[in-house]
Amino acid sequence: MATTLFDIAAERLEESTDMDRLAARGTLRLALKEAGLDTQNFSLAQLRTVFERLMPKELEARGVPHGVAICSAVMNGVASIASTADLSTAESPDEIFKRLGGR
Amino acid sequence: MEEYAYLTSILASIFYLATSARLLRLHRRTRERPECLLGLYFACSGLYYLAYNVPSLLGFDGWPPSIGLAVEWVYNLGVLPYLLFIRLVFRPNDVWAVGLVAFASGCLLVAGVALTAGGHVDYSLDNPWFLTQWLGYTIPCAWIGCEAVLDWRSSGKRARLGLVQPLVVNRYLLLALFGASQFLACLSDLLFAHDISNSEAVSLVTNVLLGGTEAASVVLLWLAFFPPDFYAGWIARRAHSPVAAE
Repeated sequence: MATTLFDIAAERLEESTDMDRLAARGTLRLALKEAGLDTQNFSLAQLRTVFERLMPKELEARGVPHGVAICSAVMNGVASIASTADLSTAESPDEIFKRLGGR
Repeated sequence: MEEYAYLTSILASIFYLATSARLLRLHRRTRERPECLLGLYFACSGLYYLAYNVPSLLGFDGWPPSIGLAVEWVYNLGVLPYLLFIRLVFRPNDVWAVGLVAFASGCLLVAGVALTAGGHVDYSLDNPWFLTQWLGYTIPCAWIGCEAVLDWRSSGKRARLGLVQPLVVNRYLLLALFGASQFLACLSDLLFAHDISNSEAVSLVTNVLLGGTEAASVVLLWLAFFPPDFYAGWIARRAHSPVAAE
């Protein structure tokens, strides 16, 4: 059962492509790493940026066609699930340090 | 030279207290724990450095042993929220981080009790409790430096996607340098203990290290927590320059 944003996004990606669970999670993990994000701690807005800017290229590299359309569909699904699920994530260091040095 | 090092430490302590006041005021508004924990650390550090250096600068023999021990306790207890801050911010889900916090806290508390039982503060390399205390307060200095370097590197990637502001990326770098500076200050504590164990006189190298690291820490904290307009503007322009965007 999906419990984190990462799990939900990976599941949706698996359902929307021919990739198996391992490949879907690995692809998402690589895209997050490319974005400088930790799999345990990112926001929906950050995930949306990853799916808009990085994931289409990752899918293309794995021979998955229609990457942009798939990414858009996956994000819509993730956003829909996330809006009803309790996905409380810890505050990221970026948010904390933005606030601590706030001007 | 020695007076210069003491004066730098006192100026640093005043700056630590100002940083603490800013962070605790922020906590009153946000009710969030990170600013409270870091604010408490800087408050205790500021008080410690102030209390520790005033006698040397004013030329009297130092505090009575009981006050000296109380000052040590202020610092030892002040490092605990610093350790909790690092874990909370950088490693909230890692079990090893809890272990490291417990170990460093244990060092500080055990050393504090041992120093209290001994009746006076003894900065000597032959004193195992001084070394235990040193380990307890050196761990967070090195730890925060390492964590900040890691986040500085990954935040550069996030910045390229517009997920984090360039000023926050720079803040990680400043914090990494602050950790390194504080780690050097900790090493100079060992030199200080060595000097006064052997000759009662503090060497030039030790004084330069003590004064230099405190001065560097103040500048780094100022840029991180009170970034002036010219600095923030420079960071923003640099981030958007063609070279940085490549």
